Amino acid sequence: MSHAKQADAAGKAPLITVEGVNKRFGDHHVLVDVSTHFNAGEVAVIIGASGSGKSTLLRTLNRLETHDSGRIVVDGIVVDDNAKHLDALRAEVGMVFQQFNLFPHLSALENVALAPRRVRKLDRAAALERAASLLDRVGLKAHQHKHPFQLSGGQQQRVAIARALAMQPRVMLFDEPTSALDPEMVKEVLDVMKALAREGMTMIVVTHEMGFAREVGDRILFFDRGRIACDAPPEQFFDRQDNDRIRAFLGQVAH
Amino acid sequence: MNGLHSIWPKHWSRQANSSATMALAAALMLLILWLMAIPMAHAPEPIGNNAQQFAEGTRVTVQLTLVAGLSGVLLGVLAALGKLSKVALLRWVAATYIWIMRGTPLLVQVLFVYFALPAIFPALRMSDFASASIALALNVGAYNAEAIRAGLLAVPKGQIEAARSLGLNRWFTFIDVTFPQAFKISLPPLVNNIVALLKDSSLAYAIGVVELTNVGNRIQAATFQPVATLITTATIYLLLTTVMTQFSTAVERRFDVEGKLA
Repeated sequence: MSHAKQADAAGKAPLITVEGVNKRFGDHHVLVDVSTHFNAGEVAVIIGASGSGKSTLLRTLNRLETHDSGRIVVDGIVVDDNAKHLDALRAEVGMVFQQFNLFPHLSALENVALAPRRVRKLDRAAALERAASLLDRVGLKAHQHKHPFQLSGGQQQRVAIARALAMQPRVMLFDEPTSALDPEMVKEVLDVMKALAREGMTMIVVTHEMGFAREVGDRILFFDRGRIACDAPPEQFFDRQDNDRIRAFLGQVAH
Repeated sequence: MNGLHSIWPKHWSRQANSSATMALAAALMLLILWLMAIPMAHAPEPIGNNAQQFAEGTRVTVQLTLVAGLSGVLLGVLAALGKLSKVALLRWVAATYIWIMRGTPLLVQVLFVYFALPAIFPALRMSDFASASIALALNVGAYNAEAIRAGLLAVPKGQIEAARSLGLNRWFTFIDVTFPQAFKISLPPLVNNIVALLKDSSLAYAIGVVELTNVGNRIQAATFQPVATLITTATIYLLLTTVMTQFSTAVERRFDVEGKLA
């Protein structure tokens, strides 16, 4: 699967380009001269210790964090403070958060239908219809009229994925989507993400789920102290790893 | 006091229950305003023969509260947004407004709008009712601002990030995501402010608005029967605040999707 997709993407401009990006939180240099790119149809998995900058990079891609220097281009849109650029950018980039961040005052259906109505100007009936079919796709048809507080963590995260998909984004960003879940709910969320990957969705996933990274990832990026310390296909990353720090990290998360 | 909401069938949904309660409370309020003179006319003197005046004064009191209350909520939202603005000038304007309105007596504000404003700007000469409405709105707006600001600050940052990441612009993020959640949190203190406003509207008496307190005091002065007239006046206020509280409790229940209220 991964090789076919990479071949397909070859020759085209990357969907996302990151060039020399730096970011500081006060004295803490979170992103140090980060350069990379992400191709359409590719599943990139970002791993690394907490505080290594992996979530920050993800959040700079749709300007939830600003970067201090460098250049980020997503699908031809330069990521900067231009409000028109930003709204266009964010409509193309779906994001799933660790804490789900569903809107608690809206039902699952309304959560999913809101942005298509407001941003894509879909009428209410069409937006609700699309929302219902997306909730069906993530296995929540029976729960579509419930409010977030009535749903389990795994169900809430699946609603959040459907909500991001409703905007028909070019790329989906996942920021530790299973880290806040009870163990028995991790699988149902990963299954939805695997199905998405099989359908060819471009995904950038920050996670600690090594099984998922190995099985679904086309590329593994390892973040260490604000730098991309390794960028390799999963077989090479997990089985032929020659970096001692990464081997130590993999040894720790394996237990 | 028991809520109106407990009179409906148990199997009604929360929405149906709160809608019915809101409708009933609003209907009660209108009935009081239209028809209160009819039963009051049967009361002994000095109430019965002055029932029509009491009714008229009550209507003026409710009108003042409604006009000042609605504008006050709008002013409160604007001032709260001003105080949370990234623009230093807007923060300063909002903070100064709240500082002055909370730091000076409402009675002075009522007198100022009626007497002093037209002395400075002749174009601002207004009726006693309009002056009182403006002073009350400005005053309650300052208190509302702090209630609404607290609500806005209580909405988690992740909510705004989620909305923005979906491509919602700042306006829709505010209207669809931030404000509904903030309003729910702000509602109890807002209701406090509006109940206080209903009673404080009696200060319009000072510039000659013929509202409920003014009516009560005129009648007690004319009849030398302060006990009956002032008890009647107070009872009408109590009735109005009670119906108003029932209405606002129903609004609160309507927003209570999570069923936190008993």
